[in-house]
Amino acid sequence: MTVDNLINWFPFGAEWPVLTFVTAVIICALPVFLFIAVYALVAIYAELKVSSFMQDKVGPMGQGVGLHAWKFGILQPVADALKLILKEDIIPDLADKKLFVMAPFIVFVGAFISFAALPFGQNIIIADMNIGIFYILAVGSLSVIGIILAGWSSNNKWSLYGGMRSAAQIISYEIPAGLSIISIVMLTGTLSMQGIIEFQSGTIWGVLPNWIIFNNPFSFIAFFIFFISGVAECNRTPFDIPEAESELVAGAFTEYSGMRYAFFFLSEYAEMFVISAIAVTAFLGGWNSPISGFMNSSGWGVFWFMLKSLSLIFLMIWFRWTLPRLRVDQLMSICWKVFLPFSLVNIFGVGIWSLLVG
Amino acid sequence: MYKYFNNIFVAISSILKGMSITWRHMINIRKGNVTLQYPEERWPRPERDIGFDLDSYNVIRSRLQVDIDDCIGCLKCERVCPVQCIKIVTTKAETKGEDLPDIGHTGITSNGTKKALIVSRFDIDMSECCYCNLCVYPCPEECIYMTGGPNSHKHPIDYEFSQYDRNDLIYKFAKDVDDEKISKYVSKKIK
Amino acid sequence: MGVIHGDLMTLNIGPQHPSTHGVLRLKVKTDGEIISEVEPIIGYLHRCFEKHCENVTYDQVIPYTDRCDYIASMNNNFGYAVTIEALMEIKVPERVEYIRIIVAELNRIASHLLALGTYGLDVGAFTPFLYMFRDRERILDLFETLCGARLLYNYIWVGGLSHDLPRDFVESVFSFLDYFEPKIEEYNELLTYNKIFIERTADIGVLPPEVAISFGVTGPNLRGSGVKWDIRKDDPYSIYDKFDYDIPIGAGEMGTVGDCWDRYYVRMVEMKESAKIIRQALKGLPAGDVHQALPKKIRPPKGSIYKRTESPRGDLAYYIVSDGSPIPYRLKMRSPAFTALSVLGEISQGWMMSDVIAILGSLDIVLGEIDR
Repeated sequence: MTVDNLINWFPFGAEWPVLTFVTAVIICALPVFLFIAVYALVAIYAELKVSSFMQDKVGPMGQGVGLHAWKFGILQPVADALKLILKEDIIPDLADKKLFVMAPFIVFVGAFISFAALPFGQNIIIADMNIGIFYILAVGSLSVIGIILAGWSSNNKWSLYGGMRSAAQIISYEIPAGLSIISIVMLTGTLSMQGIIEFQSGTIWGVLPNWIIFNNPFSFIAFFIFFISGVAECNRTPFDIPEAESELVAGAFTEYSGMRYAFFFLSEYAEMFVISAIAVTAFLGGWNSPISGFMNSSGWGVFWFMLKSLSLIFLMIWFRWTLPRLRVDQLMSICWKVFLPFSLVNIFGVGIWSLLVG
Repeated sequence: MYKYFNNIFVAISSILKGMSITWRHMINIRKGNVTLQYPEERWPRPERDIGFDLDSYNVIRSRLQVDIDDCIGCLKCERVCPVQCIKIVTTKAETKGEDLPDIGHTGITSNGTKKALIVSRFDIDMSECCYCNLCVYPCPEECIYMTGGPNSHKHPIDYEFSQYDRNDLIYKFAKDVDDEKISKYVSKKIK
Repeated sequence: MGVIHGDLMTLNIGPQHPSTHGVLRLKVKTDGEIISEVEPIIGYLHRCFEKHCENVTYDQVIPYTDRCDYIASMNNNFGYAVTIEALMEIKVPERVEYIRIIVAELNRIASHLLALGTYGLDVGAFTPFLYMFRDRERILDLFETLCGARLLYNYIWVGGLSHDLPRDFVESVFSFLDYFEPKIEEYNELLTYNKIFIERTADIGVLPPEVAISFGVTGPNLRGSGVKWDIRKDDPYSIYDKFDYDIPIGAGEMGTVGDCWDRYYVRMVEMKESAKIIRQALKGLPAGDVHQALPKKIRPPKGSIYKRTESPRGDLAYYIVSDGSPIPYRLKMRSPAFTALSVLGEISQGWMMSDVIAILGSLDIVLGEIDR
């Protein structure tokens, strides 16, 4: 299922090309938006519960009168969302109003349009572009512009700090992330998401799944470099430097409330999914089953893809509730002094490896 | 160079160590959970019977209670209060130790002391109270106490006495009678 | 290429800010992320403690001392009681001395747990904070059985205690210590030796011993700078000289001597030492009456006294002038957190925004005591 298929399928495609295109895009975008909303509710609930369990508490157990869903607090994210929707939308007097209003949507768009190239299953991808992974890396950075705009337009010193830190952060983590993806592209010889996943079908020596992470030692390291840079891209602890709540109050989001704040929240979780999905696609075999030939039909593909992505999201949550926060210059020094040399060596190593072995 | 790789190794191992701790806590949540669901469950209150031969001591800090029938109006609690949240007004009764049912005045306390004073006002402002328990110790009749200890059977132990209006936190313990009625029984000398 | 010097930006951290540990305002001049000047502005929690004390009798002062350093009320009561006893030359029974030391050291553990937990929070680690609060809660439960109050105890009185230990108190303290001592190892693994935490704290905010001494910094902050100074050892009050314990000092294990990590770690080790003292005191607890030496009326002779004690934050001292009446003529409290805060501007220059928060947290200030 792709946009191209839809466009071709429409009977009036030739007469009204623009209308057809817009309809097709909307038909694809709606389920994605619904998916993000539902997934964000699940992820927020998981974050609440996992963090509570790690801290010896029980987490949400009930939401007051009328919202008691059983007794596990399942409706907590719904209640949170309701609260955020019903809250007053405050725009500071001296804020740059246009940018202030725009910023949350830019942040969200950055995460949202990445979903277009995510391969959820064998045939379930909105647009199987031949530059898929490159496209995601490119538009994924868009959200940083939103954060900088939010920080600037709030007319608040804390927000400005948050925005500037975010700008300083992106140039550090994007480079190792991109370089570790390059080493994958060298192996697979394609930028298309489906192509990368198809490369990973089958097994190594009949035991290990033929995932890129197991392909050679260099790509094993590349996975961690990419994933940790991805955590930085999501602004999650230990890299939640732009919003560092004990230093910058709420960083770039200090002045936001209500629905606009909810959009930042939503896009953080959406971005987590995108990062996990790329990591799954590029390193963990995408929708391939871990055991060759076991539950490997196209329907199960969605299951495996989601399972792998959600485990990586769990890993991010786990990081967050264990580790302290890094300082902004320490993030840079890690990225430039550790990740960058390692990923350069990786590219070299993968090249040699595929020359000798592959 | 050694330092560089050692740093990376230390970072990875210490992070893994920390993550194993949080993981252990997460899977042992049933054993390790410390939360109580507050309105439904509460922490058990500590044992108030403190042992030894100190039964008269009152080791609980909650709402102050006054048994006004036992109060002789000695003003000791008012004087000892560090924040002056107790206000007492007394007038001298005409006859010592006589019941005055008209204004709800009992003449003799439960300890057998004959009262010489009519307590016409006994207010405690619990919003000012600092729960230091100092007023409880000097009382000769043990009529002012924080609920608990030997007095726990008289009133329920009440930690959660919140009010919408601050004035509702001023507890008036004296019998509610107007001054004219009291003035009938007041000693002539004072007048 | 030259360096561009822009204007400095003035930034107010506080009075409402998540990491100022109360209502403190820091006026910070920043050059981007770099801090060039920090000026702490205090007084938001001023409650006229000293002036109040000139209007109430000596025994009514004790609830007020509770409210100065509200994290370690027992130690405040203890210091005040010791001072008045020295002025009136009261000899308190031995059982009282033992119980005082037990509760004061328990409160020291509780106070350090709060300091370390919130320090973890300052550098972004949330989980250790809740673990430490969970254990602090058990100490507060012990105090609740002891005197009914969880935070503001009014327990140590001049010449004695408000009441004796409850039944089974000794056993429950022992079982608490058995539970607590292994937990310190867990904190160490989770936070102390975490590489990110070390990166954030080691070599940051170095407080050289000379600077510390010249500013009058005391307590764990001074010991973190490698100066072995503890009132419990160097000017023993009560019966601290009877016990066997060590004074941990900062050794620069992870960076320079006197950095944030050293101050943090000194507190961590001090909790172990306090547990040691409590164990010895519980074993040697004599029988007796705790009310024996309570004076009928506290009316110290004419004169003045300055007596210092070791609170969890350092050198807590009371200066009391008595004119022979039941009301103190003048009462001055030397607050250790005040001197600790005063050194902040000196040691946080040139560090980054995040480091100032880390340095402030490592000084472990309590605004109730600073403003009084």
